[in-house]
Amino acid sequence: MLRARDFWGALVLLAASIFFLWRTFDIPLWGGNRAGVSNAEWYNSAAIVPLGIFSALLVLSVILLIISIRAGGARQALTSVGLGWDRIEALRFTTIAVILFFYIAGLVPRVDFILGSGLLITALTFGFHKGLPERMILSASAVAMAGLYAMTQHFPQAEWRAHDDDWVTLVLWIALTIGALRRARGDRVIRAMPIIALVAPVLLVCAMAFGFRQNVPNRGGLIFSQIEYHYYVTLRPLWRS
Amino acid sequence: MEFLITQLAGFGGAFLALIVDPLTYIYLIISMLLGITFGALPGLTATLAVTILTGFFGNKVPLDYSLIALLGAYVGAIYGGSYPAILLNIPGTAASAATAMDGYQLAKLGRGGEALGLTTTASFIGTLIGSTALLIFVWLLLLLSQNIASPEKALLALFGILLSGTLMSEDLVIKGWISGLIGLAMAMVGLDPLLSETRYTFGWSYMLSGFQVVPVLMGAFAVPQIIEGMRHTQMGQLAELRGRITPSLSRVRQHLPTIARSGVIGTGVGALPGVGEDVAGWVSYGVGKSVSKESDKFGKGSFDGLLSSETANNACIGGALIPLLVLGIPGSPPAAALMGAFKLNNIIPGPTIDPAIILRVVAIMVLASLAMFLIGLFTARIFVKILLLPKVVFLPIVMVLTTIGSFSVGGGINDLYLMLGVGFVAYFMAMQKFPIAPLVIGVILGGLFDETFRRSLLISGGDLTVFTSRPIAATLLGLNLALVASQIPFIKRGFARLTRRA
Repeated sequence: MLRARDFWGALVLLAASIFFLWRTFDIPLWGGNRAGVSNAEWYNSAAIVPLGIFSALLVLSVILLIISIRAGGARQALTSVGLGWDRIEALRFTTIAVILFFYIAGLVPRVDFILGSGLLITALTFGFHKGLPERMILSASAVAMAGLYAMTQHFPQAEWRAHDDDWVTLVLWIALTIGALRRARGDRVIRAMPIIALVAPVLLVCAMAFGFRQNVPNRGGLIFSQIEYHYYVTLRPLWRS
Repeated sequence: MEFLITQLAGFGGAFLALIVDPLTYIYLIISMLLGITFGALPGLTATLAVTILTGFFGNKVPLDYSLIALLGAYVGAIYGGSYPAILLNIPGTAASAATAMDGYQLAKLGRGGEALGLTTTASFIGTLIGSTALLIFVWLLLLLSQNIASPEKALLALFGILLSGTLMSEDLVIKGWISGLIGLAMAMVGLDPLLSETRYTFGWSYMLSGFQVVPVLMGAFAVPQIIEGMRHTQMGQLAELRGRITPSLSRVRQHLPTIARSGVIGTGVGALPGVGEDVAGWVSYGVGKSVSKESDKFGKGSFDGLLSSETANNACIGGALIPLLVLGIPGSPPAAALMGAFKLNNIIPGPTIDPAIILRVVAIMVLASLAMFLIGLFTARIFVKILLLPKVVFLPIVMVLTTIGSFSVGGGINDLYLMLGVGFVAYFMAMQKFPIAPLVIGVILGGLFDETFRRSLLISGGDLTVFTSRPIAATLLGLNLALVASQIPFIKRGFARLTRRA
């Protein structure tokens, strides 16, 4: 099975190394004008190391391809064994990929970090705790809907401070939590999930913003903007005075 | 003698400064608990613990304090991996894989408490051996490193990547090399270090500054663990923790030769560029099996076997810091994350590093090992309780941690895209048994390799003999060539034939 996967891996590596070798030739190698230095020698070129790297990668990917073909990898390459996934595993990977993609690309930049992360924790815990396909799909759909709404309604950076996507995420998070609690009565993990999903992001974002004074995503989010306001206006004067 | 006294005096000063500062204890205890937790939870690693803390501290917390937390978490995580190895037969980190061989058998025999206590003591002594070696050898190597110029640095960086690829590969060695080359290729993105020529930016201004280390580390080490770990699993049978944990002095004395030998082996393996604690554990276990009086018991519940790997993996930490501090080449994947922290704080590890930092690192290591020893002995029964925590509970929190960590260090959404992209690539690579550590070592050393290789050529006017005319460079070139040649089939066959005849 591993050699069948190696067959695909080697093909991808082969294509990537050829592509990047071709791109490397865009960098002047012999006697070109480099960063204002004209008629420079070959050893000055910024292409020299990348050329070596991608040539070596090309050679090694050919060797890997030969090894995999000799071991029968090519014969199995188009079977489910060769691809390495059965239907359940493919669904598991796809739903996780969807959740992570919409979380990073849709929710983190546009939606309050506590809300987005709460939804993520709920979706991942509920969706994958028992390994049931319908739960995976339900969780991925909830995150995808929230992320898709945020991306389509507020794609440009200038609109990232809007709050309607925060409300949509909050509603989806509550709905998913209620659905999870109703479906999994008596399950200790699912019962603890709402508390973890709320407490963990609140603690983390507050520790980062006020403890370590680091930059945090979407400071103007629905909940975090209130926390920040009360930290500076209500709480901080208490110990500063 | 005078050298040793100077060293000890310097170390004493650094240690005193450390212990009189109350903040030290806050950073150390919290990071140690976090490190042990990361080590104890299968699926989380020491590298991840150090990387996440690097993201949290960034450059907003003084390096003096962030080093306490990073090293505390590093020491704690390597030690914490022994808990599930002994009680669940699942190594918490790769470094404890060899520990599980004997640890679980001992726990099943009702000697889990004794095994945990001796492991804690051995890890403590191992860390001290590594720290002592760091204190002594780092200075000797620093003196030697005055003769190291661009050709040597380039060849050493290449050697680190090749060696890491060779030793970290579970499957074919060329997979390790490919992984290292992918890392090197990633380091080529952005403005080149000598002429500021743009490379592979595809017109995207974010790419001009190249790939940031922290998002790459987070992506490479966290995202694949999250994707792989989000599945329904039946937890293993937790062996009952019976017996007294605190070991008796006579038991420790009985195993002292094994602990000392393993400490030296662990430190030595750690000092090899790019080779991690897991290799140290296995090498020491292998040596232990061949020299121990109870070698027939190895794998069936031998204390010698248990202590061989557990001492070595903790001793490896000090060893791994030697090439990092002296040459700027990380000795292990967590040390690569530490290098990221140094870089974030504009400190370039290598021959020009401030000696006070080295002394502080050694002092922190000694204090961290003491903290680990005490916390380990007195809180072991509490940590045992977290071993059965399902991955679906803590991995989503890790995802949130890595997201906020990556975002904070670079301050941009693009870093998150990079983290996710690297994460998916690393997941597919791990699925095909490509080791991830050489990739990260490649990303970290790529800039150094590119700059020093081209500077060597520039200074010599394109004369390639610059890599053979200097003794250290020639030796390193020979080592690189030997490493590659040792994997070529007909050379391997010839060598095997020669050794058979001999």
